[in-house]
Amino acid sequence: MEKTIIKHIENELAVEEIEDGLEASDDLLGSGIVDSLGMMKLVSFIEEQFAIEVAPDEMVIDNFMTVENICEYIKTKL
Amino acid sequence: MVYNLVHIIEQSAKEFPNKVAFRYMEDSITYKDLDVKSNQLAHYLITRGVKKGDRVGVLMHRCLETSIAIYGILKSGAAYVPIDPFLPNQRIKFLINDCGIKHLVSTDKQSKKIRKVLLSKHNLETIIGLSDLQNIETISWKRVYETLLKEYNSVNILSDDLSYILYTSGSTGLPKGIMHTHASALAFAKLVVDLYGFKHTDIVANSAPLHFDVSILGYCSAPLAGATTIIISDAHLKFPISLAELTEREKVTIWYSVPLLLIELLHKGSIQNKDFSSMRWVLFAGEVFATKQLRALMQLWPHAEFSNIYGPTELNQCTYYNLKVPPKTDNPIPIGTTWKNTEYKILDDQDNVVAAGEEGLLVVRSATMMKGYWNNKALTEASLYKHKIAEGFEHVYYRTGDLVKLNNNGELLFLGRQDSQIKLRGFRIEIGEIENILLNYQGVTEAAVIITDVEDNKSLIATVLTDGVTLVTEDNLKAHCKNNLPIYTVPEQILILKSFPRTSSGKINRRDIATMIKSLN
Repeated sequence: MEKTIIKHIENELAVEEIEDGLEASDDLLGSGIVDSLGMMKLVSFIEEQFAIEVAPDEMVIDNFMTVENICEYIKTKL
Repeated sequence: MVYNLVHIIEQSAKEFPNKVAFRYMEDSITYKDLDVKSNQLAHYLITRGVKKGDRVGVLMHRCLETSIAIYGILKSGAAYVPIDPFLPNQRIKFLINDCGIKHLVSTDKQSKKIRKVLLSKHNLETIIGLSDLQNIETISWKRVYETLLKEYNSVNILSDDLSYILYTSGSTGLPKGIMHTHASALAFAKLVVDLYGFKHTDIVANSAPLHFDVSILGYCSAPLAGATTIIISDAHLKFPISLAELTEREKVTIWYSVPLLLIELLHKGSIQNKDFSSMRWVLFAGEVFATKQLRALMQLWPHAEFSNIYGPTELNQCTYYNLKVPPKTDNPIPIGTTWKNTEYKILDDQDNVVAAGEEGLLVVRSATMMKGYWNNKALTEASLYKHKIAEGFEHVYYRTGDLVKLNNNGELLFLGRQDSQIKLRGFRIEIGEIENILLNYQGVTEAAVIITDVEDNKSLIATVLTDGVTLVTEDNLKAHCKNNLPIYTVPEQILILKSFPRTSSGKINRRDIATMIKSLN
């Protein structure tokens, strides 16, 4: 799960090329790795890939700050 | 006596030493701490050779250190130049070279970015705020805070000295640097405190990045009153629910942002279930706030007063329109009247003052006006309107490029950009008019109309966003336009989009929409 998401961010969503790869603990939001539009795309990707629905009130920083956070969040939905 | 921006912090450090000046996430800094740490940064910069008139870059995301960077640079006698870290590297290099930046204040988060910038030829000498070693002199924030102040002498800063340069996109494609002095920035800071009655008990929410002039309110006006500024993180701006939670938790009393953020809070922040009773002023600027949206928000926050602020970066703020109760009709709200220490004229094509109620170009003369564009005398001259009083003495106005007229109440109405007025098959068309008609349609939240030019065949294309609840079809919208507009202004195509490309300050990026549509056809 972690690898799938990291790969998707690196290849499709990152604003710039990420040197030495993305870590699961990297801050996606504060460091400008993913912009607002990229975040919306990431949510759609997660919904499709893991067949879950991200409810509006789950669209919060704590669930999407890092790839680790995202994985923890997805696990609660599966 | 407070006559430069540095005095703001010195004064508040004396009066409110232990009050929180700025807060970012879990970190905060008191006025006393800010005064000391900005002295330490200033002292270090001076030892690196910074002197009055120099420009020092600030390359940072939103964080607590932005406050120390700004005031430290100002105390060294230099002007600060914010550099948006989201800019492409080419653009960053352009800014650094264009205004001759030798010293850059940053944080460890920008380490990779800086490494790339340093790869090509540059005149940089020092990077402040980096812990790792690079191929240049660096100093970490930790070491800056260890600087001893025994030999520190404060710089004599006059109100006419430069305080900051904000780069904004120019019509030529190259950015232009808008220079403000301590006097013009301080005039703005003081007028805000006076107009909105800022108090030391206020909690001011700053959502703007440093390169956007909206930030001057949070970074200068709030400290002038001894208030606390909440620096909203980049992360919060991406998640309206988190933003709403933060605003509630911090008990924000004064909000200032572009309308977009408020619209997102309204539709996606689930603000109905939260307590915003501390909010007393909601200020917005930078773009037209669709009246329908504004009314919906005002109905949710009846205890707050709202203010439509107008003013290009060249003037900071110059007009305001305050609302205590929601607007009754869907007509666009006025930009209101000029504030203190400011006057205006409305001119026709020949620079003659128009008759009352007639449309024309707004020119403004104000204490908050810029010094000019950095290193571009021709552009500065072209942007000014000079009213000669006597030989060698003239009143200098800034040509806003905005078209306005007075309504019957003597309030200014914003009609659109002078340069977004278009001609199509000989007809004169105002883009803003079409957008307003689209916005009147139930369910439409934002609209951007652009003109495309394919092989000299110009056509009007409208793009809209909807609230996602009301059923809106392109056919309905076209019928609505046909019912409300002269036929030659009805867009040929109306596209319902999921989102708009935005500039870094949140405005709709019309140029990107045009490119996108071109690629579709």
